[in-house]
Amino acid sequence: MSVLSGQRAWLLQRITAIYAGLYVFLAVALLLARPPADHAAWLGLIAHPVVWLATATFIVLMLLHAWVGLRDVILDYVRSFVVRLTALATVAIVFLMLGLWALWILIEAALR
Amino acid sequence: MEFSIYRFNPETDSAPYMQDFTLADDLIEPGMMLLDALLLLKEQDDSLSFRRSCQHGVCGSDGMNINGTNGLACITPLKDLKAPIVLRPFPGMPVIRDLIVDMDNFYHQYREAEPWLINESPEPEVERHQSPEDRDRLDGLYECILCGCCSASCPSYWWNPERFLGPAALLQAARFIQDSRDQATEHRLQRLDDAYSLYRCHGIMNCTQVCPKGLNPSKAIGDIRRTMIKRSV
Repeated sequence: MSVLSGQRAWLLQRITAIYAGLYVFLAVALLLARPPADHAAWLGLIAHPVVWLATATFIVLMLLHAWVGLRDVILDYVRSFVVRLTALATVAIVFLMLGLWALWILIEAALR
Repeated sequence: MEFSIYRFNPETDSAPYMQDFTLADDLIEPGMMLLDALLLLKEQDDSLSFRRSCQHGVCGSDGMNINGTNGLACITPLKDLKAPIVLRPFPGMPVIRDLIVDMDNFYHQYREAEPWLINESPEPEVERHQSPEDRDRLDGLYECILCGCCSASCPSYWWNPERFLGPAALLQAARFIQDSRDQATEHRLQRLDDAYSLYRCHGIMNCTQVCPKGLNPSKAIGDIRRTMIKRSV
């Protein structure tokens, strides 16, 4: 089974969707139950180890989920091998940068 | 009754066009099928080309796009169709002439599914036995007549006909994966586990909607995925 096998990508998309669904549900419930009063409270919430880890995991899994989705669109519609490879690489690089940027923001929030 | 039929003869036409036909009301009989009407129209213009053979929905020859939906002309009642009846060849397949399409790629993908029993154990003196329950698992899979209505209605097959096997071939893959007498399940599943062969299916379900035999290729594809997951955990 290759890294980009059909089954692995298909399963990855579904598992990440389950986590993302649970995270969004719990995050909304938490924010409704205990809305942060100010910026300091918001930072405190994000810096809480459980929230921090759950959010970091959410970001990584959401990007993986989106990667499989965009990969599917590219595999469906882009016929030229060179263009397909370029599109896949571009999406991968952009997602990697977005992930690192989001994680950096989380780390900064935790260190304050 | 009015008809609008796709015409294209590569020897004389530079581009396809739609031709209007009229079938006189006194020629229309109760219980008439679309194929009966086409045969009458062919008497008006014998250059009108379409495939047909058994005329009973068994051979799968006369698949075409009927008022926007793929189906078999021989089992489509004329009275159920809204006039003018628009007939086109299967979408996504190269046209040979009029309503006749080139199905080479469709059959190639069928062969890719290895639609035969693979069993290396010595041949028994009588047939290879199956329990009634194991035999029941083949119902809804073996009845396919390879008319092509499903694959020709599948957008994933339109986009990647050379690499996505299409619902008809995948239904046959499922038929042999489910067969208790087959010993090549692992081999079959491995062949399907790439980005294109099986997983270009996005559950659009046009295949299930148009199948003239009432089969469910979409479910068969889901069953293959489930079998793959069960085998890999």
